[in-house]
Amino acid sequence: MNNWQRILSVARRELRIIRNRPLYFMGSVGVIAFCAVFFLTFLNNGLPDNIPIGIVDEDQSSTSRNFCLQLDATQLGKVVRYDSFSAAREDMTSGKIAAVCVIPEGMNENIQAFKQPKITFYVNGLYFVSGALAWKDLLTMVNLTNGAVQREILRAKGFNDSQIMGMIRPIDIDTHQIGNVTTNYNYYLTGILLPGILEMIVILVLIYSLGAELKFGTSRHLMDTSGHSIVTALMGKLLVWTIVFSAIGFVIIMLLYHWLHFPISGSIFNMFLAMFLMIIASEAAGIFILEMLPVPRLALSVGALYSVLGLSLSGFTLPLEAMPPYIQGLAVMFPLRHYYLFHVQEVIFGAGFAGWWDEVIHLLVFLFVPLVGLSRLKNAYIHQNFPKE
Amino acid sequence: MANNRFINTWLRDWWDIFCHELKQIFSDGGVMLIFIIAGLAYPLLYNVVYLNGLLEDTPVAVVDDADCSDSRRFIREIDATREVEVAAKCVNMDEAERLMRDRKINGIVYFPRDFGEKLARNETATLSLYADMSSFLYYKNAMIATNFVMLHEIGQIQMERYSLAGMTEQEASQVIKPLGYEDNNPFNRTFNYSLFLISAILMIIIQQTMFYGMSLLAGTQRERNHSFASLPDKLEGHGMIRVVLGRGGAYWLLYLGIGMYIAFIVPAIFGIPQRGQFGDILAMLLFFITDCVFFSMTWSTLITRRESVFLLFLAMSPICLFLTGCSWPTVAFPGFWKVFSYIFPSTFGVQSYINLSTAGGDINAAGSQMRIMILQTIIYFGLSCACIFAENWVIHHKEVIRERKDKLARKAGIDKVEDTKIIAGE
Repeated sequence: MNNWQRILSVARRELRIIRNRPLYFMGSVGVIAFCAVFFLTFLNNGLPDNIPIGIVDEDQSSTSRNFCLQLDATQLGKVVRYDSFSAAREDMTSGKIAAVCVIPEGMNENIQAFKQPKITFYVNGLYFVSGALAWKDLLTMVNLTNGAVQREILRAKGFNDSQIMGMIRPIDIDTHQIGNVTTNYNYYLTGILLPGILEMIVILVLIYSLGAELKFGTSRHLMDTSGHSIVTALMGKLLVWTIVFSAIGFVIIMLLYHWLHFPISGSIFNMFLAMFLMIIASEAAGIFILEMLPVPRLALSVGALYSVLGLSLSGFTLPLEAMPPYIQGLAVMFPLRHYYLFHVQEVIFGAGFAGWWDEVIHLLVFLFVPLVGLSRLKNAYIHQNFPKE
Repeated sequence: MANNRFINTWLRDWWDIFCHELKQIFSDGGVMLIFIIAGLAYPLLYNVVYLNGLLEDTPVAVVDDADCSDSRRFIREIDATREVEVAAKCVNMDEAERLMRDRKINGIVYFPRDFGEKLARNETATLSLYADMSSFLYYKNAMIATNFVMLHEIGQIQMERYSLAGMTEQEASQVIKPLGYEDNNPFNRTFNYSLFLISAILMIIIQQTMFYGMSLLAGTQRERNHSFASLPDKLEGHGMIRVVLGRGGAYWLLYLGIGMYIAFIVPAIFGIPQRGQFGDILAMLLFFITDCVFFSMTWSTLITRRESVFLLFLAMSPICLFLTGCSWPTVAFPGFWKVFSYIFPSTFGVQSYINLSTAGGDINAAGSQMRIMILQTIIYFGLSCACIFAENWVIHHKEVIRERKDKLARKAGIDKVEDTKIIAGE
């Protein structure tokens, strides 16, 4: 048998194992399918709407009623009325409403009399997205109300409408959101979370696949099949798994950027490349963990810790700059971080090769890491001299 | 008399099972690793990662084609905000875009050529903000900074224009701001990212480590051809409640310690606000831990092998985080996932912990969540009894099940002998 045939026979052996253990199928395809369905349907709206905002209207005037109506009519907000501040505050503390807005008594009269009354609002910033959006919505409403009052006054003073516009709004900002025009959370989060979950799956499944040989004592059978070459053994196993994971990865990319039309300013083919590189880099990370710790249970625990951390340290929610410096350096150890940077260049800026070539190199460097421990793994496979549990 | 004897044997059985389970936990390295190392170190690790939690001085570039005193003042004021720092002044948009692609800056503020002229002509002058959406926090910072500076500038310019239109200074200031506002964010003053996230992660760690640990143990028992559910022989299939309460008691006791460490000590170490009453939080924690024990006991029944829990359920941790409603608001959940979120104790544990400890509400602030947790506890208690019953049934009917499996394999033409050589499982 030549080496290619041996690789194929290891691959056939791996397929037989996969067929016999439903866990492999459930742990890879099953988990990613569930997560994809979850995140895509969960964040389907893109931006939350009808966030409950409590209003305590102590004024009960036409102006205050109008304020409530307008607030209710915004896409973001939904008004919940309260009679007392304490009831509203309790509901805000318990997370039922995102904010409380108190309209003071005599607001209408005081506006007419230029006494500059104050609307007070309280936001629950612990329910992050709803709090921030409610805050933004309330601020906009106060500014709009101000504008409306000003317009009435200026009209009464005899200004014409075009003059009034210049008076009320001398400066305007025209905001362009690059790469995500509608502030869509689905595009923002799912585009990284699904590859992140896949990274997790690749690392765990590969550690399990390699570790199971030790755990069930079948590693000598594996070495016999591969002609006592650890490289051939790994090649055979990786052949199967790379095909499986790449297929999953390509389906994810197709799903996001083709079928669901997530915005992408670059090319979808480059994202296939990014996904493939992330997968093989994650495979390398998984192999390395098992080489260093040829005890399946420990290796899996370490792999779990490592891959869950990858989600945080990729820096797509809280940017890396906001983390302590000694954590920032650690981020390069995670393939997902490089995938994210690639994603920014290709999906958001459409920068192409010039933008992401260094991420390609970073991801390829991962492939050299497992070479360090090959002989260690081979020894473990032959002597089975590590605890099995 | 008979009653008394029943209670006595019940208590003795319970005690035996309780002690046996504790012994199992402490003699298993893997479980200890999860409970002790993960339970103690994870919370610290996440706190370190999210320690600052605030993104300040996001670098932006300005392209000032107007080059007038108004635009220059605007730029100075943006630079002075906490959110944004003017990192570069570019001569044209191309240069700014290049800087953005190189990730040197995360936003561009552009003043068009007619900015100053329009202001001089009493028209609306428009400036443009280009925000990098690769993280929404960049966008948020750029938005907040430019909008606040804009509102401030508008006030200044309006003052000038109204006095030109013949108003006195007092009249003008009254017209400019007929309605004032005061905004408060009492629990999270600066919209700090870490405050809400860490509070949520802490409770999820309690639930997930308990579940992983218990599943590891259940898987191990099964691999050794024991069962986690085997009832004492003398009971002849009765006494499920003893087993459930005995095993549960062991985890409950252990997590009382770990839970208190996570809920009280970790936030104190990192200065996360603890505004609640100790008694309230402790009461909530006890309900949550009890809930988690029966939750884990029920779902760990699905785990047949030691390691499989990580492969199958690790991805549930981020999902649980989303289901708490701390980031994505509960009101925006699609109906199905809202129902789905009722499966997990963490959904309600996180909310009540945040309401009690971080927001400082009294026990009423977590009332509805605690009622659901109690209901969950009752249901999961029933389910874990049912699981033990089912497990027992399977153990006693092993032969029958195996025969059926073999028959199926023969029908499908699978070579069992070759398979066992590779799998070497059972």
